[in-house]
Amino acid sequence: MNDANGTGGAPTLIRLDKVGKSYFRGKQPVEVLKDLDLTMPEGAFEALMGPSGSGKSTLLNLIAGLDSPSRGSITISGQDLGKMSESQRAAWRAQNVGFIFQTYNLLPVLTAAENVELPLLLTSVPSSQRRQRALTALRVVGLEDRAHHRPDQLSGGQQQRVAIARAIVTDPKLIVADEPTGDLDRESADQILELLVRLNKELNKTIVMVTHDPAAAERASVVRRLNKGALT
Amino acid sequence: MNLASIALKNTRRNLFRTVLTVIGVGVAMLAFLLIRTVLTAWLVSAEYAAQDRLATRHKVTFIMTLPKRYVEDIRKLPGIQGATWMNWFGAKLPGHEDAFFGTFAVDPQSFLEVYDEIVVPAEHKTKWIENRRGALVGAQTARQFGWKVGDKVILEGTIFPGQWEFIVEGIYSASRKSIDQQSFYFHWNYMNDSLPASQQEQIGWIASKVPDAGQAATLAKKIDELFEPRDIQTLSMSERAMNTSFLGMISTLLDAMQIVSIVILIIMMLILGNTIAMGVRERTREYGVLRAIGFLPKHLSTFILVEAGVLGLLGGGLGLLAGFFLINYGVGRVMEETFTGLFPYFRVATQDMVISMVLSVALAVIASIVPAYNASKLHVTDALRKLG
Repeated sequence: MNDANGTGGAPTLIRLDKVGKSYFRGKQPVEVLKDLDLTMPEGAFEALMGPSGSGKSTLLNLIAGLDSPSRGSITISGQDLGKMSESQRAAWRAQNVGFIFQTYNLLPVLTAAENVELPLLLTSVPSSQRRQRALTALRVVGLEDRAHHRPDQLSGGQQQRVAIARAIVTDPKLIVADEPTGDLDRESADQILELLVRLNKELNKTIVMVTHDPAAAERASVVRRLNKGALT
Repeated sequence: MNLASIALKNTRRNLFRTVLTVIGVGVAMLAFLLIRTVLTAWLVSAEYAAQDRLATRHKVTFIMTLPKRYVEDIRKLPGIQGATWMNWFGAKLPGHEDAFFGTFAVDPQSFLEVYDEIVVPAEHKTKWIENRRGALVGAQTARQFGWKVGDKVILEGTIFPGQWEFIVEGIYSASRKSIDQQSFYFHWNYMNDSLPASQQEQIGWIASKVPDAGQAATLAKKIDELFEPRDIQTLSMSERAMNTSFLGMISTLLDAMQIVSIVILIIMMLILGNTIAMGVRERTREYGVLRAIGFLPKHLSTFILVEAGVLGLLGGGLGLLAGFFLINYGVGRVMEETFTGLFPYFRVATQDMVISMVLSVALAVIASIVPAYNASKLHVTDALRKLG
């Protein structure tokens, strides 16, 4: 683990300028993020750590285009997310962001291959190629032989690998992971982290990962710490 | 795989709940179909009525009588091919008071000429006409009470009190469904001669035969014009119109049945709405994930509406299938045989099948509009926060 960038002179993928986020709890404003300035280069693998309520998940949501900031601007690959409508952001996410969640969140009625294929339904990829691409993504995560298994027929680690395949199937530049190892045993967690490192190093995916797990954070090239909505 | 196939697979998510819902919708649609079939059968009974026969009754109400001499006046009218008369006798079989069959006092000779769809063996016909106490009994009623030709039958009069003794001289069937096979016909003279002088020579209504349905309205008008200057005026109409006016009398019952059928549909909507709403609530997480990876609110709405439509289709199909076999191969046959007069044709009508299926799917979709709208309005981060 180190706090240096480690990506040489790679172009900036993520830029946050004076980004703040406030909520209202009743009539009481709650400031979750305080005017953050942040850049992340393409190909980075960054971990966001901090105590509960520090704003790390909110920051992840903003970077992923799931939420909009109360103030400031967020630019990803030169595109200002603040200027996009809700549906434009949804289309942008479908093309540019892969999501990995703590509890995998696969659709239980779909097979592994169908779960992976799901994001491709929103793209222009022809139906004849969708299944092939899903199988390729499953091969990358080492689960090609489980393509026709439903989530309840897979272990937690395997389900998370299917979720990773779903995250990479559209070949996004950015992958956001919210506690990807939070529900896994150590061995499975290590396999998932190893996979993320491979995606970062071999496929040059930019990964932003929220974690409480120091062992997970160690795999990242950069660790940023948040406390009370500010980077420390 | 496409969006529709995902929606279809969603119905298998909680198979037990889906099966219960489909059965619930199916039972509701079966009940709806039964009621619709009864309503349609009522109306169809009017359709089966003969169109080339006129019924002439007292202008005020059919429970008031006409003078018998009117029959001869009608017979003399140009275009009338024959006329007969009858009275509603309203007798019961002692020991079987709950059993219903129509009892009519008729003029046998002219009756069989006007009601030429009645099929009775020639020798029975002759014997019935000759025997003043003879009765012509419908095949179903004869079967029900085990009556044979030659049997003595005693009926208890309700309108004309006393015990009335008859000999079964003939058992009839019918070549058309315009007449039932349950009635009990006997000599009008037998009844008339037994009445006090003040009540004699009074008849219930006159049935007359016309060349074709096209002339029915004109001849009905002529009959009524004939009696307009008399003390007792008449109201004439085709047999079909008479049956329809009878339906008008029970319109309150029919309206009540319509209301029940609507209540059944509302119950079905509530069952479906509840199931869909539960499913949507349980899947809030998934909807958050789907929205995160780029699905739009309209996609979520589509998933929910299609799923509801499929449930409606399956439930409606089940109800339709059960209803079709239950009615067409069970209840319907019994109803037709037992209540031929009321339900000459008791089968599921094609239009009712179509209405049931369309309503089943449409109401399922309508029931899911609110859950679908709520799902489409979910904020992504709020939904994801339910990830635990």
